[in-house]
Amino acid sequence: MQIRFLLFYVSLCVQGAELRLWPEYLRAGPDGDVVAADRVTAADSAPKTVRVARAGYASLQVAVGLRSPGEYTFRVHSPLQADVFREWYHRLEKDQVWYPDALVPVKLPHTARLPDPDNRIGNQRVQAYWVDIWVPAGTQPGEYPLTFALESAEGNAEAAVKVRVLPSVIPDQDAVVIDHNSYGSSWIGDIYPGEHARNGTDFYRSDAFFRLIHAYHRIFYEHRGVFHQLGYGHAGKVGPEFAPALAGTGRNKHIASWDLYDRHYGPLFDGSAFRGSRRGERPIPFAYLPINPEWPASYLWWGEPGYEAEFGNVVSEMERHFREKGWTHTRLELFFNHKKRYMGFPWDGDEVRFLKDDRYFKEYGGMFGNAVPKDSPVRFVFRADTSWTMEQQSKELAGIVNMWICSDGILSWYPGVAREMKRRGDIVWFYSGPPPVTQAAAKVTEFPLQAWLWGIDGYVHWLTVSAGADPWFRFDGGGTALVYSGERFGIEGPIPSIRLKVQRNAVQDLALLDSFQTRRPVAELRAEAARRFNGSKPEDWWNPRPAIADRPPIEWTNEEMDAASAGTRKMLRGTRPDAWENVHAFVMQLAEELQ
Amino acid sequence: MKYALLLALAAALAAEDRFTRELEETARVASVMVDGDVCRRIVTARAMDYLLRTDPKDRFLAGDNYDVNAEAFHSVKKTLIRLSRLVPFPADANLWMPVPGHPDKVRIVIRNANELSQFWPWGALYQDMIPEMKTVLETGRRLTVTRKPGWVSALAPVRDSLGDIVALVEVASQRSLNPRENVK
Repeated sequence: MQIRFLLFYVSLCVQGAELRLWPEYLRAGPDGDVVAADRVTAADSAPKTVRVARAGYASLQVAVGLRSPGEYTFRVHSPLQADVFREWYHRLEKDQVWYPDALVPVKLPHTARLPDPDNRIGNQRVQAYWVDIWVPAGTQPGEYPLTFALESAEGNAEAAVKVRVLPSVIPDQDAVVIDHNSYGSSWIGDIYPGEHARNGTDFYRSDAFFRLIHAYHRIFYEHRGVFHQLGYGHAGKVGPEFAPALAGTGRNKHIASWDLYDRHYGPLFDGSAFRGSRRGERPIPFAYLPINPEWPASYLWWGEPGYEAEFGNVVSEMERHFREKGWTHTRLELFFNHKKRYMGFPWDGDEVRFLKDDRYFKEYGGMFGNAVPKDSPVRFVFRADTSWTMEQQSKELAGIVNMWICSDGILSWYPGVAREMKRRGDIVWFYSGPPPVTQAAAKVTEFPLQAWLWGIDGYVHWLTVSAGADPWFRFDGGGTALVYSGERFGIEGPIPSIRLKVQRNAVQDLALLDSFQTRRPVAELRAEAARRFNGSKPEDWWNPRPAIADRPPIEWTNEEMDAASAGTRKMLRGTRPDAWENVHAFVMQLAEELQ
Repeated sequence: MKYALLLALAAALAAEDRFTRELEETARVASVMVDGDVCRRIVTARAMDYLLRTDPKDRFLAGDNYDVNAEAFHSVKKTLIRLSRLVPFPADANLWMPVPGHPDKVRIVIRNANELSQFWPWGALYQDMIPEMKTVLETGRRLTVTRKPGWVSALAPVRDSLGDIVALVEVASQRSLNPRENVK
């Protein structure tokens, strides 16, 4: 096994100051010990060289240790670009233990104290830093030094590692899309109270508000991901910045103002929101439309000519607006999120359980087709999130729905369904949620690998911006967050997490690995990636079709469904923190062999 | 100056009164317009059977089996939307019904586009009976509730063809609306 980064102690300290290098997959607590979730990995025999393909990142962690409280200065020297982040130790409300996750950007040289007065850990002995080395596509291949220096009253220390830049270039396009979902925008005011107060009652119409929205897109984009914000509620209430303002009724219904919508989406659809980013300006690949049973047509007219008149007028205007603006790169999703259990409408748009509800998809598909010119360059898609009735919907709605977000447990029974959806050109993702910090560091890499092994297009973390009321000292574990508000640290925007970084590095590896299929059979690449990850075979990532699949879905119980997916869950229960490191080593090995 | 302030105060109070009166008047009309027999047909018998069931191994049991008869739902929802349009400001008319055999429980059955209710804890299939709703259901009296600051809910009974009170309508609004609340 080849390990990417140094794990050996390199300290020239003569008194008490020390620097310790850690690979990205071993997180250390404020006491300097590896956190419980990552402890199973042997912590020695690491190489002294980091390999990285161009147009990509290499990451490692550096821990500063002082024997007694005091100030220190931390420096990083390299001809390559280094981004350095202070790791925040979150106190878990449940277990009262500390886990690092949020990453606070620091400027170099960085002077700080141990214990960190802000993190408020009385016996803190160690402060870890996350280091991203960015290697642009034009970098000359070869070996580059990377050194770390620590100065303190206890003495000085230094550590070094070599970065070997390979000739291979990581493709721009990812092999799998990682989507980060969220709901509405009221949470932005909640987690940026300072910015909210500065802008007063106009906050939600202010430039600061739209800058924050764009900052969320930007952070996920820079981490090779996608960000979604759903803009309407289960009974059809639409947030003002998620839809153009409407006026009129019946045949006179029309769009009255694009103001807030265009301020929100314009920079995302033309890519200018990403100006100055390392990945360059690029339109977002996906966005929800605000369409739901109550918008743009009033539900009052459902089943009457006025419903299609209102729907058609507004959808036609939207298509024309997008076309005239040249917003023709983003896939705009007609998507119904409502469930009848929330009492807004009499059918399930999300996760249809009752087959009778499919008829509404057909009706909307028809109305949408009537409203949009056949040769429109605007890229509309009809998206459905599906679980119980996936097998039936995939046939019944073929040719109507062309973007499927599937329950991973249920899709795991149906490799044929996934194949058939892909054969006809549909987009196929599965959904899940971020693993909490208390799971092994590599847990977050299971999802991109699973999507790639399955031969589908991506996956969705269902909620990624909700870190709880007090993520700093009463942390819920981060099961619904992969970024945090930076306001506590004077940053008006989100800051990343260790899990987001680990995920990004896995996705960039997959992009490179996938590009090798021009020279190696993809089945061979998949088999080796699965073997390296956890000793599995690609077929182990599917479950056998269960007996309940032959019964009507309304008879299935959650217990039965859980049991039917137990095989893959069991296989992934023991994912080791270094599981992805083994896949990375394989990718780097291939990159060196095939260059 | 003093008179100007008094006049402004009087105008504000009058406006507040109008706000409440508009909702109360709509609730009064709702009692006439909403068909109690159709309301009874909205939630399917199967869904009602699951409504109060719990299973420690399946916490979504009731929700996953919640279902309605579309035609009855459409019919009553459209009436409720029309009622809400009697009010010259954003308001919702919501349908609430008792849980048969459980007089201490009540459930919301239809919500509307402004996602306004003074009583519904987001996501609940049923909840503890609201005392004012109990009064409406038992006595047939209309009531106005201003329990939460800024909120007004006018409650009115809904009868079926036998004259029994089978449901109630909550005509609800907030004096200061949050356009982003419940967009989730």
